[in-house]
This record gives sequence, structure tokens and C-alpha cells, in this order.
Amino acid sequence: MSNAMIGRRNSGDDSGRYPDPAGSSSAFDRRLFLDSILSIGFVSTAAAIAYPISRYLVPPATGEPATASAVAGAASALKPNSGVLFKFGSRPAIVVKTIDGEIRAFSAVCTHLDCTVQFKTDTSQLWCACHNGTYDLGGNVVSGPPPRSLERFVVNLRGEPGQEEIVVSRG
Amino acid sequence: MRIRKRPGVGVRMVRLLLMAAAVIGGAAATARAQAQPRANACLTCHGGLAEARLSAPATLFSGEDIHRNSGFACADCHGGNPETRDAAMAHDRGRGFRGAPRASEQIAVCARCHSDPDLMRRYAPRQRVDQAAEYATSVHGKQLASGDSRVATCASCHGAHGIRVVRDAKSPVFPTNVAATCASCHANAAHMTGYKLPDGKPLPTQQLADYQKSVHYAALTTGGDLSAPTCNDCHGNHGAVPPGVGSVANVCGTCHAVFAQKFATSVHAEIFDKGCVECHSNHAVLKPSDKMLGAGEGTVCATCHSGADDKGAIAATAMRSGLDRLTDALKKSTDVIDRVGNAGIEVSAEELKLADARNHLTLARTEMHAFNPAVVEPVIQSGLTIIGDVDNAGQRAGNELSFRRRGLALSLAAILFFVAALWLKIRQIEKTER
Amino acid sequence: MMKRTLDWVDERVDLSGLREFIAHKRVPIHTQEIWYYLGGMTLFLFGVQVVTGILLLLYYRPSATEAYESVQFIVSQVEFGWLIRNMHSWSANLLVGLAFAHFISVFLLKSYRKPRELTWLSGILLLFLMLGFGFSGYLLPWNELSFFATKVGTGIAGSVPLIGKFLLRLLRGGDDVTGATLSRFYAVHVAMLPALATVLVVVHLLLVQRQGMSVPLKLERRVKEGQPLKEMKFFPNYVLRDVLAWYVVLAVLAALAAFYPWELGHKADPFAPVPAGIRPEWYFLAMFHTLKLLPSHILGIEGEHVGVIAFGLLGAFLVMVPFLDRRASRGERSPIFTAIAILGLAYLIVFTIIGRYAN
Repeated sequence: MSNAMIGRRNSGDDSGRYPDPAGSSSAFDRRLFLDSILSIGFVSTAAAIAYPISRYLVPPATGEPATASAVAGAASALKPNSGVLFKFGSRPAIVVKTIDGEIRAFSAVCTHLDCTVQFKTDTSQLWCACHNGTYDLGGNVVSGPPPRSLERFVVNLRGEPGQEEIVVSRG
Repeated sequence: MRIRKRPGVGVRMVRLLLMAAAVIGGAAATARAQAQPRANACLTCHGGLAEARLSAPATLFSGEDIHRNSGFACADCHGGNPETRDAAMAHDRGRGFRGAPRASEQIAVCARCHSDPDLMRRYAPRQRVDQAAEYATSVHGKQLASGDSRVATCASCHGAHGIRVVRDAKSPVFPTNVAATCASCHANAAHMTGYKLPDGKPLPTQQLADYQKSVHYAALTTGGDLSAPTCNDCHGNHGAVPPGVGSVANVCGTCHAVFAQKFATSVHAEIFDKGCVECHSNHAVLKPSDKMLGAGEGTVCATCHSGADDKGAIAATAMRSGLDRLTDALKKSTDVIDRVGNAGIEVSAEELKLADARNHLTLARTEMHAFNPAVVEPVIQSGLTIIGDVDNAGQRAGNELSFRRRGLALSLAAILFFVAALWLKIRQIEKTER
Repeated sequence: MMKRTLDWVDERVDLSGLREFIAHKRVPIHTQEIWYYLGGMTLFLFGVQVVTGILLLLYYRPSATEAYESVQFIVSQVEFGWLIRNMHSWSANLLVGLAFAHFISVFLLKSYRKPRELTWLSGILLLFLMLGFGFSGYLLPWNELSFFATKVGTGIAGSVPLIGKFLLRLLRGGDDVTGATLSRFYAVHVAMLPALATVLVVVHLLLVQRQGMSVPLKLERRVKEGQPLKEMKFFPNYVLRDVLAWYVVLAVLAALAAFYPWELGHKADPFAPVPAGIRPEWYFLAMFHTLKLLPSHILGIEGEHVGVIAFGLLGAFLVMVPFLDRRASRGERSPIFTAIAILGLAYLIVFTIIGRYAN
């Protein structure tokens, strides 16, 4: 006789229904109490599962990972012949507007010893205060100790004309 | 009497062919000689000589040479008659032949063209024409003028035949090759015997060995940074003289401008004879570290400053302690942010701030060259303030992590509560079944 | 309310056969019945993996330049992202552990004997699939550890004789571990393996439901001789106990996620040297360490080839166990296979420990 048949041999009950309580009301109360704490338990654990999942589904404010692109502010707020530092991932970056109005963005991490560069309005160059490194507006080293040019980023404008925001992304 | 027979047809054919070949070959050779702008029989003769001393110049000059590429030939420097292959006629003193110029004559030979602005303008308008004048002011030039023929002249560094332009990576005066070129004499103890420093000590010969330990050498060779200094950048190109007292800081300051500025405002500017070299050495310029600063053992300051009431020692100790405080705070903060970031908290803003704090450390090390704690301390404080902000954020992040753990513990409690309730339910069902 | 819903469906789709079956289904009670729950617990964890995996899919990006950042994003920016990710990582490890425990208990109890050969077959294949899930999923965060573990693991695949080079290129999507490998592993992990696993799980479950639970050989013989078999109702008794087991597993998961959160690591750098002491995950350690210990040549064949062939043969042996164990199929004691199981288990435990602590 195979095991598969054994399961059917001793079936005496008709269904999975609970047998009637043995008449005692306290047993009934106990059962009701147990059933209610069981329900409470089930609901609370279900909530403990459903709540995080439902919060997870809502997209976070930042939208997507910030290491590939970042917003560097409003295009109209940036004046010609000026540069503004902004956060790109966890590193500083700088967006500059040339005298002709062209917007460019570079990594603001000096290639010498990682100090943060700034825009010098009198010479229209990017300058590092730490050891006097100077870069032109193509990111190329003009003078001083930096060994390499600044990493250049891709600049795009996004939004309604007149209210565009500058979107900087890696090439 | 022997009867002379007429040569057979075959022999007559061969002779005809040989004669034709000779005629054609000769014509070709002449044609080739005439294809060159100027006749240069010198190369043809000297190239075939067995003695290396005489054939090498021809071989070298026939290779890569800037003068040859510009259309110059042997006679333009050596004189003589380049159109004949007869040695005596070629070496005609009447035609200006001067052989290999002696050391004392070499400068004049090169300067005849290279100090002539009108001539140089035709070939290389950007090139300078004052090399000979500069050379006369150099130690080499002065020695040469006093009759010393062992010093370097134009050919010693640039070569005489097979001269490559400075921009050519194989030139002995290409930036990465300059040190080795200078060292071919200056590191050779035998060659340098008899030369003395102004104070009477013999001229050192370990400059190259020292330079090869330096950060400048590393930047030039492995870093590929051709703007890194080599011998000529500090000593001068043709007017080579070691920088004198008072001018070292200026020389270093051509690149290290900020440090030179700070140093100029300091007490050491008047006191140090050798400027930057007092602390950083002249050739073996090693990577500086904070350990050089302070009044303790092993520091550079302790060479002159010691004792509890020495103002310099006090200042050095103060500045060093400032740098150490900032470095420690930076390290602790970085560790916390790394750990917290690894556990899953967003820390890019904090990492940015820490980078700014690191800037402050770099700036503090620059300011230190004014040797005044009152200038260094504000930078340190500013850096510490930033780190304080980051630490607060780190603390908040740590709290967030604890909050998460507590939340999970709560869920765990709920689950275990449900498990207990379920267990009781099962027991109840089975009790009623029995 | 549940009953009313069921009745409503029953009026339209005749569920009476199914309801009768469930109502009459019984589960044996004996000293070894505790092992019955392992299969259900494994199934539960597989469900957890599917749910958390799909949630992770909402934010994960399968490219070498974005994978690590997307996991970082999930863990630091998405609300409860850290929880979902932690659950997925821990559940994966528990899943493999429980699957193994289930496999060992079935092996020792000889439940694979006739008529359950197909159940064993589908189960063994599912075990291999779970290992495949573990291996493919491990690369997806694209951090240092996972990059190099994958490099080493696929490198071993290259040791398979004859087809090794082809297999390596097939796995890696090229000669080296690159973004192409990531794309491939992603496709395997979220599409191919789930499809196969779903089919096999359905087959496995259907067989188990149809055939009922197997009992230990000794008990089977006694029942044949006339001893009555103690049983419990499948619904609600066994089901409630199964649910209890699932919640216990959930509690363990929550505790692990709370006290041992999974780290992010550093982004993989393909040009960095392999870190010293790189190891695969614990469920591959025994195999990995065995291959490391093999001498360079055995009887003229390269050691690694011998190792890989041996493991291949072991896999084939495991698949064929029900057909090889004649005695168990006849209902007799089968001490040889018991010994094989115990020795195999001992080998796995010992080598996993050695592999973990070897420098």
C-alpha cells in the first residue's frame, strides 16, 4: 500500500469545521478571546508588512540617483562672467556663464590636491586658492601646479523658456 | 709571337653590359648628388671611414638632425669644400675648414648663427638668440673663459651631430632627459675632481641621486607632468648658476607662488640664507608631511628651536597641534560618515562638507609658511566648525539607524505575539477535537 | 466572509472536488514530522524573495555605471528601501539554508523512494536553481565583493573540460566580467530562473498534494503490518502549524535585518587588483575550498578539471538517487544511502567551516 493512500484511510470527519463547544460558556469566551487576539496579531503583523511596502512604492523626492546628473539652479539667475558652485553627487562642481552667455559646467575639484576651485571675475578664469592653480574656461590648466585639466560636464537647459533650469550631467 | 684572338661574342656582350652599368650607375649617383640642395661629399667619405671617431658624425648627421632637416650641411659649421671627394681639397683651410672646433671655439661656431636674429628669424622666429650671451654669465662660461676646457659647451648638452629639437622626446635636453645629461658630468666623481664650492669644499656629485628621490622627479617621470622642474628650471638654461643667497625663495616661488608669498612675510625670510632649501632641501625635495613641523624629536624646526621658552618652538608646537587636531577630527568624522553611508544613510552632502574640511587642512598647511600661529589657527577653527556640522549629521544618521533597529524590534515583537497566539489557537483546536 | 466568497466562486467554477480533497486530506503524525515544515518554509521564503525582488525592480538599474548607485539610492533615499533590500539579502541566505535542510531531511528519511521520484527530481532541480539565483543575484549590487566573487566563480566554470572556455564566455557575456555580465546575470535572475522555478515549484507542490506526505520507512513497515497511523487534519491543523512556522521564519528574518544589516560595500573597480582572501558566499564555500585544496595535477589531469568533473558527477548522482536506491524503493532499510547522506553532510559542514576560516 503506497503512502498516497494512507491519507484517505482514516478520514472520519466530514469537513474542517470546528466541533461544537462542549457547552461551557467560559470555553466559548476563551475561544472568542483567543480569536480576537489572533485577529489583532494578524492585523498588526499584516500592517507591519503592508505599511513599509506601501511607503516604498511612493517615489522619493529626489527622483533618481544623483550621481549621474544634478540641477545647478535657474539659468536666468546666473549672470554673465560669473560662476556658482553646486553639489554634484558628493563632490563640488561649478557652473559658469561666459561673457557671451554660454553656460559651461566643470568639476570644481582641483586636479592638484582636491581643493575647491572658484571663479575669478577679474581674469575670467577658474582659480584654486590653495596653491594658485589657474584654469581657463575650457578647464585647461593655465598656470600653477595642477597636472590635469578639470573634468568638463554636459550642460542642458530644461523647462519653460525664460524659466529654464540648468541640468548638469556626466558626458 | 702570340696571336691575339678577338674576344668571343659572349665576352663582348658582358663587357658591353658592364660598361653600360657603370655609365648608368655613375649618372644615377650624379643625379642623386644633384637632387640634394647642396653637395655634401663630406658625408660620402666620412661615412665610409673605418675609424669610429671620424665616421660617427656622418652617420649621426644622416639620421634625425634639425640642421640637416633645415638644409644645412657639414661645411656650414666646419668650413671646407663640400663639393670634392679629395681629402686635401675638402679640408682646405683657405675655404674656411677648421676641423672639429676646440672647446673654447665651440661657442663662437654655434653663436655665429644662433646669435644672429636676422638669420634665426628665417628658420625659427620664436627661438631666442641670446644663448651665447647668457652662457658667458654662467659658471660654465666663466670657467671656459678662464681656460678650463672640461666644462660643458653647446655640444656637451645638445650634441653636435644628430641634434634634435628640445621638443623631441629623444633630445638630451628634453625635460625628462635633462637631469641625466647634466649628471653625465656632475655625477661623475672623476670628472668633477678639482672643482670646489665657494667655501672650499669639493663640488658634490650626488645631486642626481638626490633629485631622483624628489617629488619633482616623480612628477616628471611617472606623473608625466612636463612642467615639473628639472635642473635648468632652477639653475637657468644657458646662464646656469646655482641660485644665490636670497634668491632661492624667488626661484621656488615661480611655481610655488603662494608659499613664497607667505614665507616672504615671515621671520625666516630675513634669517634663512637658503630660503626654502633650509627645510625642504635643494635636490632631494621629498613629499612634505606634518611630522616636519613642531618642536619635538624628528621635526625640522627642532634643528634650530628647542627649549620651553623658545618663541619659535612654542609657535611650531602650536601650529602642529592645530594641524593634528584638524587631521584627527577629519579622520574620525570620515570614519563615521563611511560607516553610516555603508549602512544605507544618504551622506553625499556630508561628504561634500568633509571635502571642504580637507581643503581647510591644505590651506592651513600653506598658511603655516608664514610661521605665525595667529594666521593658521583661524583656518583650523573654520575647518573644525565644518567637521562639527558633519558630526552632528553623523549623529543624526546614527540615531536614524537606531530608530530603524527599534522599529524592527517592534515588528519582531508583533510577529512573536502573533506566533504565540497562533500556537494557543492550534492547541485549543486540538483540545476540542479530542 | 471567506466562506461566502468561496461559495460564490463554487457556484460558477465547481470547486467541490478541491474542497472535498482539502477537507479529507490528512498529514501523518510521528517523531519525524517536524521535517515536514521545512518545505513550506522554503516556499514561504521563495515568496518573500519574489515580493521583495519585484519591489527592488522598481528602482534597480542593471548597468555597470548605475547599478551600485541605484542600490545606494534604494537603501538611502527610498523609504524603507533599506528594509526591502535587507530582507531580500537575508532571505536569500536563509532560503538556500532551508532548501538544503529540506533536501538533507528528505535524503535521510528516504522520502525520494517510489512513488516520489518525480518530486525528488523537481526538488533537486529547484535546489540547483536556488544556487543559481544566489550566484546571479550576488553580482547585481555591483560592489567590490560581488564583482570579484563573480570573477572567481565564473573563472571556475572555465575549468570545465572541453566546454570550459565556451561556458565562461557564455556566463560572462565576454572574456571578462563587465557590464555585459551584469546584463546577463540580471536577465537570468529576474526572468529565466523565476520562470523555470515557477514551473518546477508548481510541479513539486502538485505532486506533494496528490501523493500526500511520505513517512519514515520503519513506520511504513509497521503500518503495513497493521499498526494504525496517527494523523492530523490538513486544514486547519497542519495549515495553522505551517503558517506558524512561516511567521517564525519571518521573525528570524526581521531580527537578522535589524541586528546585522547588509552593507553597501564599495563600488566595483574592474581595474583594481583582487582583494586578498576573496571568498564566495557561504553556500559555495565547501565547493570552492575543495577546488582550492586540490593538487595541480591528479593522474595527469589538471586538478581543477578533476574537481569540476567530480562535482558534475556528484550533481548527476544526486539527481539519480531515487533510481539507484533499490532497497528504499522496495521499502527496505538502506544504510548505504544513509551513510552517504551523513558523510556528505559532514563534508559540507567541515569544508564550509574550513573555507570560512582559512586565510
